[in-house]
Amino acid sequence: MTENPSISPPAPDVADCANEPIHIPGSIQPHGALLVLDPADRHVLQASANASAMLGADIAPGKPWPAGAPLVDALLAALTDLPAAGALSGVRRVQAGGRALSVVTSLGAQGLVVELEAPERAEADTFDALFPSIRAFVDRIESADDVAALSQIAAAEVRRMTGFNRVMVYRFGAEWHGTVIAEDSDGTLPSYLDLRFPASDIPAQARELYRRTRLRLIPDADYAPVPVLPALSPLDGRPLDLSGAALRSVSPVHLEYMRNMGTAASMSISILIDGALWGLVSCHHARPLALGPQLRSGCDFIGQLLAMQIGARERGAEAATRLALKNVEAELLARLSRAPSIPSGLGSNTDTWLKLAGAAGAAIVHDGAVLTAGRTPGAEQLTALAGWLRRERSGQIVATAELAQLYPAAHAFMDTACGIVAAPISALHPHYLMWFRPELVHTVQWGGEPGMKRVGSTGGLHPRDSFSKWSEEVRGQAQPWAAAHVDAVDAFRNAIVTFVLKRAEERAQLTEKLETSNKELEAFSYSVSHDLRAPFRHVVGYAQLLRDQHEGFDAQSRHYIESIIDSALAAGQLVDDLLNFSQLGRSALDITRVDVNKLVVECRRSLEIDTAQRAIEWRVAALPPAFADGTLLRQALGNLIGNAVKYTRGREPAVIEISGEERGHEMVYAIRDNGVGFDMAYVGKLFGVFQRLHRIEDFEGTGIGLALVRRIVDRHGGWIAAEGVLNQGAVFRIGIPKPAKEPAP
Amino acid sequence: MTNPLRPILLVEDNPKDLELSLAALARCKLANPIEVARDGAEALDYLQGIGGWQGRESGDPAVVLLDLKLPKIDGLEVLERIKTDTRLRHIPVVMLTSSSEERDLVTSYQLGVNSFVVKPVDFTAFLEAIQELGMFWGVLNQPPPRGAAGA
Repeated sequence: MTENPSISPPAPDVADCANEPIHIPGSIQPHGALLVLDPADRHVLQASANASAMLGADIAPGKPWPAGAPLVDALLAALTDLPAAGALSGVRRVQAGGRALSVVTSLGAQGLVVELEAPERAEADTFDALFPSIRAFVDRIESADDVAALSQIAAAEVRRMTGFNRVMVYRFGAEWHGTVIAEDSDGTLPSYLDLRFPASDIPAQARELYRRTRLRLIPDADYAPVPVLPALSPLDGRPLDLSGAALRSVSPVHLEYMRNMGTAASMSISILIDGALWGLVSCHHARPLALGPQLRSGCDFIGQLLAMQIGARERGAEAATRLALKNVEAELLARLSRAPSIPSGLGSNTDTWLKLAGAAGAAIVHDGAVLTAGRTPGAEQLTALAGWLRRERSGQIVATAELAQLYPAAHAFMDTACGIVAAPISALHPHYLMWFRPELVHTVQWGGEPGMKRVGSTGGLHPRDSFSKWSEEVRGQAQPWAAAHVDAVDAFRNAIVTFVLKRAEERAQLTEKLETSNKELEAFSYSVSHDLRAPFRHVVGYAQLLRDQHEGFDAQSRHYIESIIDSALAAGQLVDDLLNFSQLGRSALDITRVDVNKLVVECRRSLEIDTAQRAIEWRVAALPPAFADGTLLRQALGNLIGNAVKYTRGREPAVIEISGEERGHEMVYAIRDNGVGFDMAYVGKLFGVFQRLHRIEDFEGTGIGLALVRRIVDRHGGWIAAEGVLNQGAVFRIGIPKPAKEPAP
Repeated sequence: MTNPLRPILLVEDNPKDLELSLAALARCKLANPIEVARDGAEALDYLQGIGGWQGRESGDPAVVLLDLKLPKIDGLEVLERIKTDTRLRHIPVVMLTSSSEERDLVTSYQLGVNSFVVKPVDFTAFLEAIQELGMFWGVLNQPPPRGAAGA
């Protein structure tokens, strides 16, 4: 749902004019005569007072048609062709006894309305004669660049055909204010080009009549209205509805308005697009000007052609805009689908995000966090706005160019969010997508000060009498949101909501799968630990029993038995290491402040069996504490120190250096040795499970140690790095992040 | 009642483990007689002097060496039954397990196990472990007076 801003509350003057019943004036203009006939037997129900004069016979409502009047006979003959339930199409010419009349009919609930007028002034004004110039007009408007150019061509054509002093194309805008977008004039009347006229100049019921009847002519504003008698329709007893009649007498307020404008004759042609009033071709003449019905039809046709062209172009432009916005939307959604979260996806695609609504700023208020792009109000203001939207406009898309009219707090940020489109993305929480436009201070040239109307000495209603240019600086408005932009936001919102739901579902499924596979893995390692270990244990046990039982084995047999025992022991060790590795992922970390100096002492002590017979020079610096799971960190350090001891075998002396320092937000520990080192070409393989860089007979081990260390470090959110030079030594560094808040020791 | 020393009850289902454990116990040269139960149910029968052990005269064992994974009634359940039975709960129970699974260890201690031994792959190490256990529980440990057991 959208909300249209209102520039101002309806002023009383609009209401006054809007109440005038202009479709039932009870009279017509004197340049023609009007009859209302019974559709069944064609006898006269109502007639204008000038009908007898125009037909040259005595026409009396309720009485039979006069005999012996040639024009009456010709008229009745023309009306015999009339289909039972229809009216004559177009303008018909009736001729008798040297006199001629143009006849237009329309059938309504109150009877068949017959309008009679004097025929065209000249042969050139007949429709047939106009046809070639209308065709040329069609060729010209097709090559016009834009709506303004189209309108200019139409204005010039109408003025050429009719001879009005000034022909304008008047376009209705927001709130039914009208702006003159094209004008063709001979200079007799002042130019109104680019001026804006208030909605009250053409009130709602007048606009409705313009919509229903495309063409309206007032040849002379000083005319004396001719009554239609009787005033009430004999068929339904109500005043005669003249909204479809070209001769309808207009409101005295309008005639005064014309005189105030300095015009004696006027004609309006409605520009209807998809049945809605888009604008008017408005023609004025300083002096009275009569136009025959066929010429008027020609002008009407010009108006229709103009409307079709404008409609086609606006639809084309609208389609192009919408297509472009669809592409923007698709691009944005594609990028979001690759992003870890919607806010982060929007945050890294701000240009596309803004483009979707043609906005200068955008924000997402989600889970208490506010992310913005471009020019926006502050986070607190946005959070408050989201809360207000949630309370006052729950579930709605709000689009307004004047947010402060709905939400007074918006006065504080007119420079960023005077206009807003906001779309809710959660049914439960004040989570919103928002786009902003800043206040657009602009100047409107009014044709006279809007809202000015005077009440005359008689107490009657009078229109304003000044049309002099009046400039107004408009504040508190942003550039209005086009329907295409609001629709793009709506579509995007729907996609996001679907997307969010889908993601949540996928995540739930994934979690479920993970839990299942975790359980399976646990069961697997559990049975491995029991069932795979046992046979190795048995092999070792029996082999040792065998060895101990038979003292008389020769050296070779003893070697075989020792090999069996070694292999089974190695396999058992492998199972233990693997199990240890798999258990690492499962248990929760117990992060405390760990004295690393103490850990290193413990690790060295546990290695004493290997180090007792070795010449090792230990260089252990004072180490800073780590914030880690003590058991796991000991395992990691134990592995690294054990490796250093192992790979310095044969060095005299082996030098093992252990150091540590606080570096930014982490603690970094290094274990350096002067052992066999490794070729940096294989550094990538160092931390893989079962990856070995040395032959088993040179250095024992299962190939899990460093993988285990890396896993431990990973679980702490840290890192491990290694540097080595073949035959010179290696250094392993681990980084363990420091928590923001230091845990208790 | 020919042997003055109370027996050691070994609860083990796997014949190879049983053989190796018996070999280890034999090497420890413990004077205690060794009794064997092959599953959890049999172990409980022995302890309660019922079923096939009806009328057993050997008294409560000096220690129960209990495998964790057992048919019928598994080791943890046997442990629980012993430690919740006022007549039996004074009997020391040593869990022998093939795995170092942490939760088994935690559960065992919660149930009141007296010791928890992960069977090493290395038989020599296993021998040492059994020897220590045998010495500690079989020889050094004195049972509480019978009358106080139910308190």
